[in-house]
Amino acid sequence: MKFAPLVLKHLRKNWIRTLSTVLAMSVCIFLVCVLQTVIAAVNFGLNAGSTKRLVTRDFVSLANNLPINYKQKIAAMSGVTDTTIVSWFGGIYRDPKNFFANLAVEPEAFLRIYPEIMLPPDQKAAWLSDVRGAIIGRKLAERFGWKVGDEIQLESFIPPYRVGKPFDFVVDGIYDTDEARYPGTDLSSMYFNFKYLYEATGQRVGIGTLTVQIDDPSHAGAISKEIDQAFENSDNLTKTETEQAFRAGFVALAGNLALLLNVIGMAVAFTILLVTANTMSIAVRERQQEIAVLKTLGFSSGLVMMLILSEALLLGLMGGLLGILIARGIISVLVNVPFLGDVLRAFPNLGLSPSIATLGIGIALALGLLAGFIPALTAYRARITEALRQV
Amino acid sequence: MSTTEVAAKTGAVDVQNVVKVYQRDSQQIKVLDGLNLEVPQGEFMALMGPSGSGKTTLLNLIAGIDRATSGKVWVAGTDLTPLSEGELAKWRSRNVGFIFQFYNLIPVLNAVENVELPLLLSHLSKKERRERALTALRIVGLADRSKHYPRQLSGGQEQRVAIARAIVTDPAVLVADEPTGDLDSKSAEEILDLMQTFNKEFGKTIVMVTHDPRAASRAHVQRHLEKGVLTA
Repeated sequence: MKFAPLVLKHLRKNWIRTLSTVLAMSVCIFLVCVLQTVIAAVNFGLNAGSTKRLVTRDFVSLANNLPINYKQKIAAMSGVTDTTIVSWFGGIYRDPKNFFANLAVEPEAFLRIYPEIMLPPDQKAAWLSDVRGAIIGRKLAERFGWKVGDEIQLESFIPPYRVGKPFDFVVDGIYDTDEARYPGTDLSSMYFNFKYLYEATGQRVGIGTLTVQIDDPSHAGAISKEIDQAFENSDNLTKTETEQAFRAGFVALAGNLALLLNVIGMAVAFTILLVTANTMSIAVRERQQEIAVLKTLGFSSGLVMMLILSEALLLGLMGGLLGILIARGIISVLVNVPFLGDVLRAFPNLGLSPSIATLGIGIALALGLLAGFIPALTAYRARITEALRQV
Repeated sequence: MSTTEVAAKTGAVDVQNVVKVYQRDSQQIKVLDGLNLEVPQGEFMALMGPSGSGKTTLLNLIAGIDRATSGKVWVAGTDLTPLSEGELAKWRSRNVGFIFQFYNLIPVLNAVENVELPLLLSHLSKKERRERALTALRIVGLADRSKHYPRQLSGGQEQRVAIARAIVTDPAVLVADEPTGDLDSKSAEEILDLMQTFNKEFGKTIVMVTHDPRAASRAHVQRHLEKGVLTA
């Protein structure tokens, strides 16, 4: 600690250089943190899927519906304990930028299969008895200031669901979850009765996806195969997979994007490493004489090396902390950015976690250490007589 | 222990048959050629000679910042030859004070912090370090400039701070490489006065390299080097 003033004074002397290095480092850490946060949110969503739930959908595309009668056939299969239709409605509330997920489900079965969707008993009873009723997640309610009893209108952008006028819904309940038991549960969606959609469209729509609850997760492979085989000679082939696999496929594009951004992040980190290393090299080169003086006074080569490394580590630490602060601020406003925010809102739990913040600091310190190593080694090796002769 | 070793322990500096060879590319340059020099305790010695005669090299060997190619260098009762780099650094911090021609103060530190620098290697508390540094500054007459940075001081004042830094650990030997070489005559006289004071009143052994006959005249003994050999 007694050497700290010496380190700090050097950083303060060239404050413009220090500031620019810290800013460069912070941009790098900010990028890494934001990226890791998005990836963590995606992964968190994936892991939230139950191992006892399968998802059956049209083999060709999610845009195609499956015939309604598939539900009865699948429900009758051995190992299947429950089913519910879950159809993406694509409803828009006033403006496309108000995007949120809204899905048509079979309320009773849905609440049985998804125990993480928790409703007060009176709200549950109200929803089950109201065909126009809808339940919304707590975060969605907070976002739009909706409360139980509010009436809302949504108009779908999906052609079969467009009936010439918006759909009227009544908010019958606001669902929440037990974060400890069901981490990653989405609280930003709306669910309403499939029957309402079915009737309003003249009974012309089919099943978007069918969630199939099974008796034993170890039977998932066999049951999935059985379901798909049952319809392999029909007009609508099916694709059945675990809920986790379904979600993983759904976010594959996001995964590829994350990979791309990871590569970009690494490139930025490497560039920052070079910039910082260059800055440190210049700083040490300018101080050759001073290093020689310190050694003359009795500072060991190891101590001089440690002082230079401390400077580099301090630069890293400052850059890391600033980067984390920026990341925290940016992540909190990202969900309000048009279009990008709509995508990000689909991922619950989006926030800078302590582990990612620690990772950011770790990377910043590692960058500082790497950047300072060669200059520190140069200082370590500097011969007093040669350095003094350069005066 | 041999008789020469016993003698070495009684004198402040004893350079025995020292050879120093520098390697420049493929060329070997012999700077000191079997040099012997004894500086008794409390002596003020001036080393003179033309450029390239090996004065600074000899001073560096005595200060323990360079190593002899062969021969032995005893300073303050220690044979520097077998010491490792780390041991040598530790030895320097306790036994020798170095005064440079260009002062070599650390620009980001103020006067008292510069003087305190060698004490950072000691086990003294922060308060004790500061007190000792201020005392050293008082001795060189710069107590009122303790918070001034090197850029705010004149050349003579900078050199006085450098001297305070050299004496703050109370070393047995002071080595000075052209300490007045960058100063006007008035400042040079003040610096030489100070060095004489340290020699006379505090009993410091001083080895000073200089080109300046007036500076050399302040020393008890003047030795002349030419082509790596003491000629007088």
